[in-house]
Amino acid sequence: MTWWLLTFTRGGSGRYLSHLDTARAVQRTFARAGIPVALSQGMRPKPRISLPLPLPVGAAGLREIAAVEVVPEAPAAAAALRALRAAAPPGVEPTGITVVGEQHPRPQPMSAEYVCELGGDAGSIVSAVERYVAEEEVIHERVSPKGRRRLDLKDYVVEVSAEPLDDGARLGFTVVHRADGAARPQEYVDLIARWAEVEPAMCGLERRHITWQGVPPAPGAGAGRSVSS
Amino acid sequence: MTKHVPGSPGRCGDWPPDEVARLLARVSRPGRYAGGEFNTRDKAGARPRIVLSYPDAYEIGISNPALQILYSQINDDTHAAAERAYCPWPDMADGMRAAGVPLWSLETMTPVADCDLWGFTLPHELTATNVLEMLDLAGVPLRSEAREESDPIVLGGGPAVANPWPLAPYFDAFFVGEVEHRLEAIVAALGEASRPARLRRLGAVPGMWLPGTSGRPAVRQVFTAFSGTPPVLRPVVPVMEAVHDRAVIEVMRGCTAGCRFCQAGMWYRPVRERPVDLVVGAADRLLDETGCDEVSLLSLSSCDYSGVGEVLTRIRALRPGVRVSLPSLRIDSAAENLGGFAAGQRGSLTLAPEAGTQELRDAINKGIDEEQFEEAVRATFMGGFTGLKLYYMIGLPGETDDDVLGIVRMAATAARLAREIGRGRVRLSLAVSSYVPKAHTPFEREPFAGEATLTRRQRLLRDATPRGVRVSFHGVAASVVEATLARGGPGSDRLVEEAWRRGARFDGWTEHFRPDVWRAAAEATGAVLGEADVSDGTLPWESAVASGLTAAFLADERARGLRGELSPDCRDGSCLACGVCVGDVEMDLLR
Repeated sequence: MTWWLLTFTRGGSGRYLSHLDTARAVQRTFARAGIPVALSQGMRPKPRISLPLPLPVGAAGLREIAAVEVVPEAPAAAAALRALRAAAPPGVEPTGITVVGEQHPRPQPMSAEYVCELGGDAGSIVSAVERYVAEEEVIHERVSPKGRRRLDLKDYVVEVSAEPLDDGARLGFTVVHRADGAARPQEYVDLIARWAEVEPAMCGLERRHITWQGVPPAPGAGAGRSVSS
Repeated sequence: MTKHVPGSPGRCGDWPPDEVARLLARVSRPGRYAGGEFNTRDKAGARPRIVLSYPDAYEIGISNPALQILYSQINDDTHAAAERAYCPWPDMADGMRAAGVPLWSLETMTPVADCDLWGFTLPHELTATNVLEMLDLAGVPLRSEAREESDPIVLGGGPAVANPWPLAPYFDAFFVGEVEHRLEAIVAALGEASRPARLRRLGAVPGMWLPGTSGRPAVRQVFTAFSGTPPVLRPVVPVMEAVHDRAVIEVMRGCTAGCRFCQAGMWYRPVRERPVDLVVGAADRLLDETGCDEVSLLSLSSCDYSGVGEVLTRIRALRPGVRVSLPSLRIDSAAENLGGFAAGQRGSLTLAPEAGTQELRDAINKGIDEEQFEEAVRATFMGGFTGLKLYYMIGLPGETDDDVLGIVRMAATAARLAREIGRGRVRLSLAVSSYVPKAHTPFEREPFAGEATLTRRQRLLRDATPRGVRVSFHGVAASVVEATLARGGPGSDRLVEEAWRRGARFDGWTEHFRPDVWRAAAEATGAVLGEADVSDGTLPWESAVASGLTAAFLADERARGLRGELSPDCRDGSCLACGVCVGDVEMDLLR
């Protein structure tokens, strides 16, 4: 058995997939491409596919990663990538395969860069971002079925920017992933929208880059066992 | 709204249109409205543009086989483009109204109202208000008489067309029966220069009924080439989770078992079977096209399909590890076939005894006996299934409290066998629905049991069900509405529209069904819920739909039912002269 890291984009209609739906899309793409995926042990075997960093519903991702264990009969990476691209749905596009080896790669995200457009008065949005930069701490209380958790967004959301547009502004920010977790992109965007007194609905949230720990060189970066489109 | 083509990964931010993106950012399960499934067809710009709709939530509608047939055939075999739209969930509907965004199709994100033909498949009565909801969200005038040249022609089809009256004013036309061999004529009619000319030409297509225009009932159409025609080989496969996640092959159409309550059994006659080679080849291709690991052999009674054993064996040999499911099993044939079918299966199985005593089963022509029931239950557990659901109806004509308690006795038998064979690891459950008399069945003139009787019998059953057996009921109030619409005549549309205007929608969903709204609508329109004046004389649907079944056959079957007499299955050689097999319409069996 061999582990592959599949890089792919999620965009267009694929933005609106949940994390589980995205995993299902990747799994089904492998099945349609005729590339056998290894199965887990037990009563109900599952394909050995994992997406290490969920992408929020509504967001596009330009460089997402799936770890996939394939059986020895799987084709070579170049042929596999061609087959996967032909078999993928419109909103999910495989862009590269890195052959890792027998060891599960277990990629850990270090940070992820996002951009997002907010509609409304550009000046107010820019001011809200400037206020964020100026604040020493920005405490956010996250309420979930698991309970309440207070986190300082400043610990997690860094390198923030705001670029004025005709109708609103484009936010740029980096979410840092720490041992105790990370902020959600929506939490930062909601905060800026609240401070700027604009509609909180975000459009065009895009994850442009993820910095990983424990991942071999990416396709196209000169690695000998990688292929990319 | 401008035109956009979905997909375009890597070019984020240019799709979908801004106004839609803002809506999608706020609603639950936005994937319902975004398209982008596997095997969608891209015929943007092609004319005529046909939008196909199933009036329910996306995850229900995407699993509907009829829509898959139409979508594939229109896109692949005609010059027309077929796109899809499903009923927006209430949160999205509210958002669309507030933002002034009209209903769009999933393929091109363009307004549905701009299409040439909007086809609805109408599965059952409880989707009626969703049809009005979708018309309204699209900005298409609700009533046919108010539509103008630029409005699409709204066409209804599917099993609920057996009685089109509750929705008659909202449709320009209804197609009665199986449409595969009439699609080209329908597409051709859309090429006429004006709306009146298009409707005139559509009205000339066999099987078409135009409310207020057609002078005679439409004759139900039968697709006689079914057996020799491959099933859908490249279905649209959802990326988000849907109710069914498997490849589907329709192996047989029609059923002649003759269950007297069953509208589908009467409506889809005669039986036609697809050859084993065609089915096995289709399974191989479908598994490649869909990426599914399960294939379902679809029909009204898949164990009755003559090739079931051979198909199971060959698919398992061809694709080891693939699960094969039979979604609809009759107990008598299941008892014979379950042994081979069940090998290596896991999960649960549903068997449908329908009624609790021999007398009542004979009355509905469900001629299984206790011995066959026990045999089927035994085969289920011995085959490795870990769950068994028994499906029953209450409120059948002539039913007594003892018949209801008979369900409990059968459940106790199944529980005993579960302990003996399944060694206690088996889940056993009862699913109990309320019988609703339907048009074109031998019981079409029988009274509906009514809310009080059904409620009392549900309580009786719940109190007597043995420990360890789960029992679930279909809501009585929803059945009352279903019964009202199933046999509603001209004017019953007023009840539907009044209920929709008061907020009724998604009536088939327990969390959305609002009995108070329907009661108020009935009071406002003078309708009496649960009642239908059909005991004597002409039935309302006879002026719109000719099913092919003769009145004499239906009357004879009704009389035999009330006497508790069984009728044979005509596939065994005993013709009951139901009237369906005329001209080139005949049974088409493998052997």
